Amino acid sequence: MRKVAIVGIGHSRFGRRAEVDIAELAFESIKAAMEDAGVEKRDVENVTLGSAGGWYEESLPAVVVNEYAGFHNLPTMRVEAACASGSAAVRSAYLSIASGESEVALAVGLEKMTEVDTLTSVELMGRAGSYLWEFENYGMTFPAYYALYAVAHMDRFGTTQEDLARIAIKAHHYASLNPLAQFQKEITLEKAMNSQMVSWPLKLYDACPITDGSAAVVLASEETAKKLSDTPVWIKGMGVSSDSANLSKRDDYVGLGATVDAARKAYAISRTSPQDFDVATCHDCFTIAELMAYEDLGFCAKGEGKNMIREGQTEIGGKIPVNVDGGLKAKGHPVGATGVSMMVEVSKQLRGEAGPRQVPLKKGNGLVHNVGGTGHYCYVTVLSRSA
Amino acid sequence: MKLDSGPPTLQSRRTLSLRFNLPISKTHQFWDGLREGKFVTTRCTDCGEVSFPPQADCPRCMGSNVEWVDMGTDAELVTFTYVLVTPTSFVQNDPYVVAIGRLGQGLKILAWVEGSQVERLKVGDKLRLEARSSSDGAPYYVFVTAP
Repeated sequence: MRKVAIVGIGHSRFGRRAEVDIAELAFESIKAAMEDAGVEKRDVENVTLGSAGGWYEESLPAVVVNEYAGFHNLPTMRVEAACASGSAAVRSAYLSIASGESEVALAVGLEKMTEVDTLTSVELMGRAGSYLWEFENYGMTFPAYYALYAVAHMDRFGTTQEDLARIAIKAHHYASLNPLAQFQKEITLEKAMNSQMVSWPLKLYDACPITDGSAAVVLASEETAKKLSDTPVWIKGMGVSSDSANLSKRDDYVGLGATVDAARKAYAISRTSPQDFDVATCHDCFTIAELMAYEDLGFCAKGEGKNMIREGQTEIGGKIPVNVDGGLKAKGHPVGATGVSMMVEVSKQLRGEAGPRQVPLKKGNGLVHNVGGTGHYCYVTVLSRSA
Repeated sequence: MKLDSGPPTLQSRRTLSLRFNLPISKTHQFWDGLREGKFVTTRCTDCGEVSFPPQADCPRCMGSNVEWVDMGTDAELVTFTYVLVTPTSFVQNDPYVVAIGRLGQGLKILAWVEGSQVERLKVGDKLRLEARSSSDGAPYYVFVTAP
């Protein structure tokens, strides 16, 4: 396997983007990433689009996006790993280069979720499990799936609704420093705790919003990366895993088995351990998801996630700053774009270009944790300043 | 075109309504049993693996010889939630409590908890599975809280 680096990053503004269609939205990130990398269209040998789809009118988004951007006769496809589709796209592009097939490849993450009404969006996500046994008769929703985990975690370890609210407050704080984030305002504990109950005990402010957005990264082989960039960000390893479709098939509900397994693989491939990171993006589609990720990724022991947030250990200046771009919770979660957005954020951090949200760089490594569905898929990617 | 609220958009004139026919011919025994108030699932006669949901092919040894066995109806509450924001196709329903319960043989099953007050439920509570039939005759099942 050849070494692969991220040499260009692009990121659209996240939010309600009714003024653009999917191709225009993707183009914003594609153009920015190619300009950042200093590559031309003729240099790009592979385009992979991560998008779960279903919320927008196009059935074949990869070719629609490619046609708009003027990419012709290239290997291309849309990949789906639910909310981890973006990481799946990066993995596809990564493998294309690592295998020697391509020198330069483009991974794009895209979702446009506000073209349908909110409850239809809720329905599309609720069907993401084992349809007949979870949705047909019982109307599960995404907040409901994660609420099942929250209740079990609170019962076992004494995690409180206030602990979860503090994760939302942190997310909104950092989003207020990120001009591309959907939410630009800080929230108070009172506001979070008094927000509408969605699926008990998860409230509106425990949940990520419904978001339109895109992100893109240009990947290159070692030889090409060194020519293109003074600040390549190296993909040191991707650990990938999965779990049962049906939640009732899982052993326990206090953590995501797919995260534990993907992290173990990623640490082994990259020869790192949970102490080796300056920054992490964790998949916080709900506040409980971020808290479980602290534990499942090994930033703390199982059951101690609540202490991490109580002590500020996941803020800038703490043991491991997490989601200092606002996270899914407040930056927004355009499903297929999220994994690529996380790669963009961690690349920015490792390049020292994150402005008021910049973490101190001591170890030179960042971690991207991207979950698909309710722990159905998990991708953990280790990024580094050094090859 | 709307000019007064946000950017101009064309509202598509075409709607798409999807209704799937769900194949159950290999596991119809579960649904047939439910109509009689019984809960049965598959057990692999090659390796002994009991599965729920029932499946015609064994996920452990990949054998295709299964028999139908009684699942039991006594369950312990593993986790639960109270769904207040419901999807489009459930908007006619009142908010509902969903739980995962563990049955005697270690199998777990997800269903509504009928008639329960969420604030009185706690992990570890005793539940019982009961068969139900929808107003149009479709079989389903719920948990009830055991006395």
